[in-house]
Amino acid sequence: MNHERFDELKEAYVLGALPEQERRELEEYLAAHPERQAEIDKLDNVASLIALSPPEQEPSPELRRSIMDVVQAEAQRPPARTRSWLAAVRERLSVQNLALAAAALLVIGLFSWNMLLQGQVQDLQGQVASLQDSQESRMVALAGTGAAQRAQAELILLKGHKAVLMAEDMPRVPENKTYQIWVIEGDVPQPSGLFEPDGETVAAVVEKPLDEDDVIAITIEPDGGSQQPTTDPMLTAKL
Amino acid sequence: MLYDRHGRAAYSLSYRMMGEKQAAEDLVQDAFLKVWRGAGSYRTERGSVRTWILSIVHNRGIDQLRSLASRRRTQNKVEASVPISQPSEAFAETWRNSQREQVREALGTLPPEQLKILELAYFSGYTHVEISELLDLPLGTVKGRMRLGLKKIRDYFDSRDVAVPR
Repeated sequence: MNHERFDELKEAYVLGALPEQERRELEEYLAAHPERQAEIDKLDNVASLIALSPPEQEPSPELRRSIMDVVQAEAQRPPARTRSWLAAVRERLSVQNLALAAAALLVIGLFSWNMLLQGQVQDLQGQVASLQDSQESRMVALAGTGAAQRAQAELILLKGHKAVLMAEDMPRVPENKTYQIWVIEGDVPQPSGLFEPDGETVAAVVEKPLDEDDVIAITIEPDGGSQQPTTDPMLTAKL
Repeated sequence: MLYDRHGRAAYSLSYRMMGEKQAAEDLVQDAFLKVWRGAGSYRTERGSVRTWILSIVHNRGIDQLRSLASRRRTQNKVEASVPISQPSEAFAETWRNSQREQVREALGTLPPEQLKILELAYFSGYTHVEISELLDLPLGTVKGRMRLGLKKIRDYFDSRDVAVPR
């Protein structure tokens, strides 16, 4: 596909009106010419407005119930979808395999090729290694709100009141900000570690020991962290 | 829950595409389960959550329409329904309604022959070649009307100095 052909087909592409072969050709062209992606994004934004134009229809209450039934059933067992990084780690992360998990984390660090993350991972490796004598673990999912609604985060609770937070699809933090972990004992939030996702995945040790009935929360704070949370929590879980 | 915020918009689009209740509900369920399972790839920089969910409904709707051996034509007979809002959602609902009204107004500025082609492509899943055959128009004319139609929608917002909703 050449430039002229791309110009000729881009509107049909965003409307979903290209036959399969042409769609593939256009996407191959886009992959080779990423500078033209912005044109597609702008057109796509306009085309997607058409979705708002139909007269409103009220779905039946049964539809909501039906969706919730499936969601709840899946929430009670490991999802059967294609395993993401987090899910793959989760499956493998038994306490007996902490060394393997640490290696997996190291691989992630290498992929992102970010020195900071590498440092974090290596640090985590060291901390995880110290937990190897633990014999039990369990997972607690964190619920995301707002921009973190799509994030998937879980605490891996280890014997000895220790825990590791693993998350993916966390929104990037603004410049000069960081994520901060809080352990809330009663009504008192205790600063329990900082992390900054680089790319889509993150792993961080929760610095404060955890007890039953504690609440864990993640907020965005100024670089270096805060002594008290200054923003609403983006992810929370009750142990 | 995302469904409570965006379920009605998703269902309205789905109903417009599929033309009947059961198929529309199946499509919405399919789309929200895809959202739940995280198979999508939502990125904030690519638009709002609503846009993302509607794009999943749209893409899967097109897939389904195209996979039907005997394609069901989109039904235009739809019944208006009165939205029911939860008090806590009232503001967001008002905002979303306002956006919908703007979009409908923008589409209302299109010449019927452009609007028809956009709708056949977007809601009914026809390719540009199929539209050309269906309306007995040269393929170049179909592409041209798609281009002009989208440009006119964009111009509607630009001329009012309003950002295109995302």
